[in-house]
Amino acid sequence: MANSDELPSLLGITVRRSLTVGRISLLIGTGMVVIYSAAFGFGGALLSTVGALVLPIFAVSGGLGGALVYTNDRMKGVLEYLASYGVSSRHLLLNAIVAGIVQATIVLSAGTAAGVATYLLSGNALTAQLPESLLAYTFPMSYLTVTMMTTVGVFWTSLASPRSGMNSPLGVLPLLGVMPTAAVLVVALALPAHGVQIALAAELVMFVVVLSLLARTDRFMPTERLLSPA
Amino acid sequence: MAALSSTPVPRESADDGLSIVCRSMASGYRDKPVLHDVSFRVDRPAVYVVLGPNGAGKTTLFRTIAGILQPTSGEVLIDGVPVGDRAAREQLHYLSHMDGIPDGLTVRESLAFYAQVEHATEADVDRVLHQLQIEEFSGTFISKLSAGQRKRVSIARIFLKERKIYLLDEPTASLDPKVAREIREIILQLSKDRIVLYSSHNLFEAREIGEYVITLKAGALTLFDRMENVRATHFRIGVRALDSAPFLADWERSGDYYVRELSGPEQVPALIQDLQAHGVRLREVREMENPLEELFT
Repeated sequence: MANSDELPSLLGITVRRSLTVGRISLLIGTGMVVIYSAAFGFGGALLSTVGALVLPIFAVSGGLGGALVYTNDRMKGVLEYLASYGVSSRHLLLNAIVAGIVQATIVLSAGTAAGVATYLLSGNALTAQLPESLLAYTFPMSYLTVTMMTTVGVFWTSLASPRSGMNSPLGVLPLLGVMPTAAVLVVALALPAHGVQIALAAELVMFVVVLSLLARTDRFMPTERLLSPA
Repeated sequence: MAALSSTPVPRESADDGLSIVCRSMASGYRDKPVLHDVSFRVDRPAVYVVLGPNGAGKTTLFRTIAGILQPTSGEVLIDGVPVGDRAAREQLHYLSHMDGIPDGLTVRESLAFYAQVEHATEADVDRVLHQLQIEEFSGTFISKLSAGQRKRVSIARIFLKERKIYLLDEPTASLDPKVAREIREIILQLSKDRIVLYSSHNLFEAREIGEYVITLKAGALTLFDRMENVRATHFRIGVRALDSAPFLADWERSGDYYVRELSGPEQVPALIQDLQAHGVRLREVREMENPLEELFT
């Protein structure tokens, strides 16, 4: 057990709970990404172009668990309990983000494995383009989008008045998460010659958005915002 | 009218010297001040029932003493240490009006979650499972439990570590009478050597377990006194007899009870003697009004 002066991390248990609480969205995201990636794998080079651009959409839909745990915990008084022990808003937000990223990694890993398997089974040879696309765009864009989605969800939940009930953001979050990736997909398909530049620019914008959101944690989430509705 | 007083409780210090002191304290939320100029001192093991209508500030008072909300003026001290200080927090348990049980875990895992926060051990979890008689569903997911079982799990966490002060915000709300009674018995046990602040909307329950009463109205302290000193303006006694009693025929009726107003409880023994002298075979004698009700008017 930890020293009595230390606050517990709670990261491991938050990740595990997000996998349980968010299992439906995780299963849907994983199932869909396997089907789509397998289909793109049969399409050969499509996997490393359109496929790589589409994968983050499924990562987002599968990575809702962190925000879900946070929202449920606030409504049920768990955050109030933790706040009374001095666990900070920033700490809880970071745990929720990591939980979302773990789920996104599960979705992306399943999608990548299915896509590569069908790609190779179709008689295609592995080229450098596929890992480059995945590492340069798919994974970072997925993580940035999940981070943004979770952060907005947590802020939104926290800004709902603790005395007048809860407006759950969970219905809108997947749309919010899908929008940046879908926009990149549409623009990149419209301007295929500039696909790489468009993808990198989108990542840069997302990075700035995520950083600016995280920098405002203390402003949007003072301790009283963790309290359950009275 | 009930006796109104903000006189502090007589100084009967707890053996270990623990105390809660609120001194000219104001507290609330960023956009809504709730408590104003609240002062009292609690330093004796007992159940202190905190009463007040909705919005009076009971939950805000508990949150402030627990160190979640910082006083906007004045001060709150736990054993001389300002709330918000970790040393103060480690003297108390706070049970909010919500269950505070994390989703996605079994009963045992939930207690292990609390144990991690409270720096308790696996052995503490086992002990509490046994103590609260929840071993049989220790492997059951929280979502599968009834409201009473969930409340029992929620309360179990306050037994993981010994503390000297317990802040219990409506711990029996929405529970069936049997579970509520069990929880009241647990709280009465706790109060033998610990300070328990307890809020409830159930005035009969409050009267049953409270040794002291603290009332709040519109964010202000309106009464702090011993429960026995709280008296109704009209002291009415209801009598039920085992068989028909002509002597009671001209008494006021209220349901099954024959009712008579007395000047105070000290007249009850004489009344009972009088009834028995007139051949009334008593089945029940009770006070018809709960004096705490008047504190809400």
